[in-house]
Amino acid sequence: MNRKPKILIVDDKPENLFALRKVLKDLDIELIEATSGNDALKATLVHDFALALLDIQMPEMDGYELAGILREEEKTAHLPFIFISAVYTDNLNVFKGYEKGAFSFITKPFQPEILINKVKFFIDKHQQEIALFELNKELKNTNKELESFSYSVSHDLRAPLRAIGGYAKILEEDYTEKFDSNGTKALHSIMYNSKRMGELIDDLLAFSRLGRKQVTVSEINITTLVRSISEEIVAEDVERTIEFDINILPPAKGDHSLIKQVWVNLISNAIKYSKYKPKPKIEIGAYHKDNFVVYYIKDNGVGFDMQYYNKLFGVFQRLHSQEEFEGTGVGLAIVQKIIYRHNGTVWAESKLNEGACFYFSLPKINP
Amino acid sequence: MNYNDIEILFAEDSMDDAMLTIRALTKSGLTNKLHHVKDGAEALDFIYCKGAYASRDIQQHPKLILLDLKMPKVSGMEVLEKIKSDPDFKSIPIVILTSSKEDPDIKKCYALGANSYIVKPVESDNFFQAIKELGLYWMILNQPPIK
Repeated sequence: MNRKPKILIVDDKPENLFALRKVLKDLDIELIEATSGNDALKATLVHDFALALLDIQMPEMDGYELAGILREEEKTAHLPFIFISAVYTDNLNVFKGYEKGAFSFITKPFQPEILINKVKFFIDKHQQEIALFELNKELKNTNKELESFSYSVSHDLRAPLRAIGGYAKILEEDYTEKFDSNGTKALHSIMYNSKRMGELIDDLLAFSRLGRKQVTVSEINITTLVRSISEEIVAEDVERTIEFDINILPPAKGDHSLIKQVWVNLISNAIKYSKYKPKPKIEIGAYHKDNFVVYYIKDNGVGFDMQYYNKLFGVFQRLHSQEEFEGTGVGLAIVQKIIYRHNGTVWAESKLNEGACFYFSLPKINP
Repeated sequence: MNYNDIEILFAEDSMDDAMLTIRALTKSGLTNKLHHVKDGAEALDFIYCKGAYASRDIQQHPKLILLDLKMPKVSGMEVLEKIKSDPDFKSIPIVILTSSKEDPDIKKCYALGANSYIVKPVESDNFFQAIKELGLYWMILNQPPIK
């Protein structure tokens, strides 16, 4: 798209066209001339213009009428105009459809510099639009590629994994007596790792899907949401005695399933990382700050070293070993992505072995 | 070869997946006659008695079709669409096999008339669950009654 921008000049008098051509001769543009409204309309069928300079006083079809017709056509609806008039007229309002695109007005005799400047302005604008359009196209393509990539990941990466897991299971079921203890250990390692690889693929997909998911905003009763999540989690985990302290939490606006995901991830984390404490305690609350509601979830678990804070929300980043606390390192990355998409922020503070507190903010419903 | 007594038509291009699936099903007592085809084109040949299956009796429908989605030549989706839009065959229950329960194709499959789906690896549990949902208890001869 590095062709010269095309400019349509319309005037019924050849000497005026000649004058315009002369004034604009130093600009890196291509001029297409028309001596009547009809000629001009024909030219728009063949060319893509960046700008049109229209004489107002022309026989048959004047500049305003021509502009009005161009605005009606899909191809030229947003074409910017510069009207050129020999006499100063204040009847610009006869031009209908000016709201659809940019236009300017210049009276003859005009200062060449002023016209040149105006033309330059519109050309710049046109080129920016083209650049944006191209960029947009590129982004759409990249997005499409990404979609087919994650489709491949979910299908093609899983296939060999299924085979590994499946055949390992056959060995376990039918050939155990042929293995010594080292062989059995190796076999279980294969099974464990293929299962884990499956979980990594699942989480990676969930994370990449987030970026594309449509956000449907509604008002969410956070207190109810958090209570139901914590009850669900507690019900699943009978033997442990987690103490939940849930304060009244202000409602929020957001996508229900996404915000729920944030709470599920944060609450499960709080429980997971306090599993070695004799008395796990989780406090959930909120406060107002500026135009935001800040929610927090505080545990008395193992915490993390603030030295590695910059890794905390990264994808596949973990601050604890798999043996100590299992996980794929995607949970907090998901939390961060969701909160960003809701125009909020997320942060945390912790002291190693004393617990952690995670905060996230969401815009107030009625600021 | 006689294909007329085939009760389950199983279309799966991956030999590993096919082997593991058949093993899981036979191990848990499935005795129904199952025929494995390697792609969608062969599945359609079987149903419509063409090519290698020209001698098959077209009136003898399999009682169930297990259909992998991603197959070369003719995909599972295309097989599904063809069979479910054919008044002669659309009553044959079709269970879709997919790699992921998040597969966007699952929705499309239901729209095309799929009866159920199973996420691979095909464990006998989720297979019999699908059978149960479809009300095909009578099909499984050697299977203890499902609660």
